[in-house]
Amino acid sequence: MATFGPYIRDRRERLRREDPRFSVRQVADRIGVEPSFLSKVERDEVPPPSEEKIVALARDLGEDADVLLAMAGKVSSDLQRVIRKRPELFAALIREMKNLPDQAVLRLVREVRDGNW
Amino acid sequence: MIELTGSQLVIRLPEVHEAARLTIDFQRTLRIPDDDREYPLPAGLGQFPLRHVDDFARTVPAPWIEHGGVMLAMYQAEALWVRFDGQYPFAVKIATGKINAVTGEGWRDGLNRDPQDYLTAPAQPWLDGYCVEKGVIRQFVAMPLGRGYSAEEQITGRADVGGLQIVAYPMKREAFASRHTRPGMWLGTAVFSKSSTGESLGMGLAPGGRMRQEIFRDHSDLSDWDQRHRARCFVHIANSVQWRGITGEAPPTQPVTAEAYRRARIPWFDYYAADLKALEGSGILGRLRSVVQLGKDKRETPIPENDSVAIDRVVQLRRGLERSEVREGAF
Repeated sequence: MATFGPYIRDRRERLRREDPRFSVRQVADRIGVEPSFLSKVERDEVPPPSEEKIVALARDLGEDADVLLAMAGKVSSDLQRVIRKRPELFAALIREMKNLPDQAVLRLVREVRDGNW
Repeated sequence: MIELTGSQLVIRLPEVHEAARLTIDFQRTLRIPDDDREYPLPAGLGQFPLRHVDDFARTVPAPWIEHGGVMLAMYQAEALWVRFDGQYPFAVKIATGKINAVTGEGWRDGLNRDPQDYLTAPAQPWLDGYCVEKGVIRQFVAMPLGRGYSAEEQITGRADVGGLQIVAYPMKREAFASRHTRPGMWLGTAVFSKSSTGESLGMGLAPGGRMRQEIFRDHSDLSDWDQRHRARCFVHIANSVQWRGITGEAPPTQPVTAEAYRRARIPWFDYYAADLKALEGSGILGRLRSVVQLGKDKRETPIPENDSVAIDRVVQLRRGLERSEVREGAF
């Protein structure tokens, strides 16, 4: 699996091929960092940015924020809050589920119930 | 399956295709004047928060539990639009009070042509109202059920259902594969009499002002859609008093006024898809009275203000929206 920086660079470059607004400069402007900083992040020369900037980057590049945060070694603060409320329970749950196939995990996600119309 | 993530409905049908994913949300927006002028698209100003009705089983009206689904809060005369986002093609039917918003017909299962009773996402990125003429919709505006304004009441004479109903059918895996060679590049082939008091049913949607919006003709074969798999959801609409009663909380949002919209210098939008053809409007929906027209007939003032609004800035959006192109505004 690619590390955070090269992954970001790859996604951004793919978008830039079709749309010049995905240059380092313009993406950096949109998420509120210096272009030189984003460039260093893409080369893994500095650690990944803050959660806020990663979420902004995910939104700009059309990526999943949770996936980018995980690649950056972070857990989003809303998930941290959830886990901190019941740490033992969630730790056990996640360990139990680590090898489950996606389909099985999806079955645990709460569905919007459909009734009789 | 449909999952509620934040304030978005997320539809995933991995049994059809791992990429079969569509998100739907409900955008707060400016109610455009109901003055028979045609307006461009007002911006989305954030999502209406959604809740599972099952989380409030003791306090929601009994029919809501029967219907299942989610709920949101709207004030009388507040407007909304429905946003679709995803890469995988879906055919989506939308009804208000079980009256189809594209054809004006009563609810029918399955997809139908002649007339086409659905829209296709993501080619159609949003729906703002009832398809009353070719290229013109009348905006979805919330009105209390039982007062006669909703499309449901005007057409059926009854205030039995209310809310908004959605069903989405994915494109068949084979049809998707045959036209989709590069991941992420698919851009689509197209995107009375009162029988009850209505009090317990909450709000219905009624036709408001006129807006330029095309509902696109589906150029796929009807057989390209997988009608064996579907995801559907009933979206209940509570008024502000009802929302407090159900949740114990104040309604999470306030309606947007024309003055605040103008002061915040939020633009308007036009959406072009030169390669797509628009559906003809529905005769049934075209004959509905708008909220203001019906209010005049009834000698009521159902809408607090209805002054015309000057359009100062219109942003052009083209089909195949770039990521940086959004129909949003902020205060």
